[in-house]
Formats: sequence, C-alpha cells, structure tokens
Amino acid sequence: MKLKQVNTAFLVTTGVSVLVFIYLVFLGYDEIKTLKDVIKIIASILFPIPMLFFVRFILIEHFLPQNTDEYKLKNQKPATVLLILTVVISISFMQLLEYTTSQKLEDNLIFAHLINSTTISSYVLNYILYNNLRANGILSGVLLSLAIHVFFLSA
Amino acid sequence: MNLFFNNQNPKSNSSKRELLFTFQSIIVTGLLAFTAIAFFVYNDLSIIKGIKIIFAPFLSVVPLLFILSILRDLQKGFLEGNYSKAEIIKFCVITVAITAAFTGITFLLSKIDALEILLAAIMAILSAIFFLKSKIKDILGMSIVTGIAEGIIVYMIFLF
Repeated sequence: MKLKQVNTAFLVTTGVSVLVFIYLVFLGYDEIKTLKDVIKIIASILFPIPMLFFVRFILIEHFLPQNTDEYKLKNQKPATVLLILTVVISISFMQLLEYTTSQKLEDNLIFAHLINSTTISSYVLNYILYNNLRANGILSGVLLSLAIHVFFLSA
Repeated sequence: MNLFFNNQNPKSNSSKRELLFTFQSIIVTGLLAFTAIAFFVYNDLSIIKGIKIIFAPFLSVVPLLFILSILRDLQKGFLEGNYSKAEIIKFCVITVAITAAFTGITFLLSKIDALEILLAAIMAILSAIFFLKSKIKDILGMSIVTGIAEGIIVYMIFLF
C-alpha cells in the first residue's frame, strides 16, 4: 500500500518538475541565441541527476521513511525555523551578489536553471525517499527564496 | 525511475545498487554521445581521412574485449549494508577529484579539430566505462562513473 502511494507521489512530483523545467526554458526563450546556450541549459538541467544517483547509492539503507505523527511533531519547529532562516539568508545572499557584481540573475539564466534543477531534484528525492523534515525545510527555503527573488525583488 | 527500482527489487540492497550503477553508466554513455554531437556541430569538425573513422572504434574496443575475456572480476561486488563514514568521505573525495580531472579531459577533447580523433577519444572513454561497469562493480566504480558524468556537465556549463 505504502509503496503505491510513494510511486504516485513520485510520478506527480516528477511531472511537476519536468513542467517547471520546460516552462523555464521557454521563459528564457528570447535569451537563447546560440546552440551553445541550448547545450548549457541541457547540461545544467542534467547536473543533479548523477549526483542524486550517487547519493542514493550510498544511502540505500534509509529507504521508505516512517512518517509518523510523533516524528512530525518533533520536527515541526526546527523545520519551520530552518525554512525561515534559509529564505532570509538566500534572499539576502542573492541581493548582495547582484549588488556587488551589478548583474541580474535573469541575465545569467544558466545559474537560475542550475539552482532550480538541483533544488527540485533533491526536493523530490528527499520527499520520496528519506522524508527528512529538516532537509525539507532548507530545500523549501531555497526554492521559495528563488521564487520571491524572481517575482518580487528583481525589477 | 525510482519507481522502477521499487517494483523490481524489493528484496536486496546490492541488486538495487547494481541497478543504480547500470543507470549511472547509461547516463554517462548518453552524456558522451551528447558531448560528441555538441563538439561536432559547434566546432565544425572536418573529416580529414575518411578511412580513419571506420577504424577509430577498433582502437579501444578490441583491447577492451580482450581484457574482459581474460580478466576475472576485480571487486567483490556491492555491499548489502551501509557504508561507514570514512568510506563515504573517501569516495566523495575520489568523485570530486575525478570530476576535476574530467573537466580537464573534456577541455582537451574540445581542442580536437578532426572528427576521427574525437571519435577515437570518445570510444576510448566509453570502453573505460564499460570496463568499470563489468569488472569493478563496487562503490569505487560508481564514484568514478559519477565523477566522469559530473566532469562533462561541469565543463559544459561553465567552460564551454
């Protein structure tokens, strides 16, 4: 039973992340000028996959988490704190970086893709296999801050 | 893909590890093909001597087949249990080192200006991967294969 749920969740999240990738590629469509850009974007999307396989290879024992109420209750607070902390830290980090290098993240699309695909893949992997709530907090924080940065803070 | 592992191998960890290793080598093979195509299209490679293209694969495939046929397995296979912390650190360091090395090797590949030489080089790397895949079935093989994949990707993102 549990396996079936996990499989469904995995399919759904993979579908969502694929959609996000495609959307991002089309979003930056006018920035893609040469074949080189296409190659770079494909490479940055592929970047996390071998690494995730390697991690999975090493940490194979921690398979199928026990997502009990007790575990949730215990990790609620640290996970929330980590989420807020990561959002604040990564937003200020990105602002600082843009300020010091006087370049926009949107102009360096490759880095946006790289951060995004790495975080989404680790998010899916963590959600499905390890269900580590603290890691979930950090990864959600990174994704959220990236979204906030792109939507609100870059004029 | 994890869906795939769950259904097929609910029982032993070593068979799951083997499957992951297989997937990783398929990814690397795909990446190498991708590299060859990218360099071929982008650098406008010319064919200098057509006959060399036909013989380029034999240069590395023949020794590979010979070695595979005479050599026994070099490693004991995949572990059933967990790896210790020292082992994990050691193999992560190996992976990072191989990544750095392969970023350099891909850089050298990009300097090649004839298609037949590029083909021979790619086939040589591919043969090395098949050697790892069939004889070094171990965490060492896995970390080397991961390093190769990441090295190619890092070159493509940052240096290409």
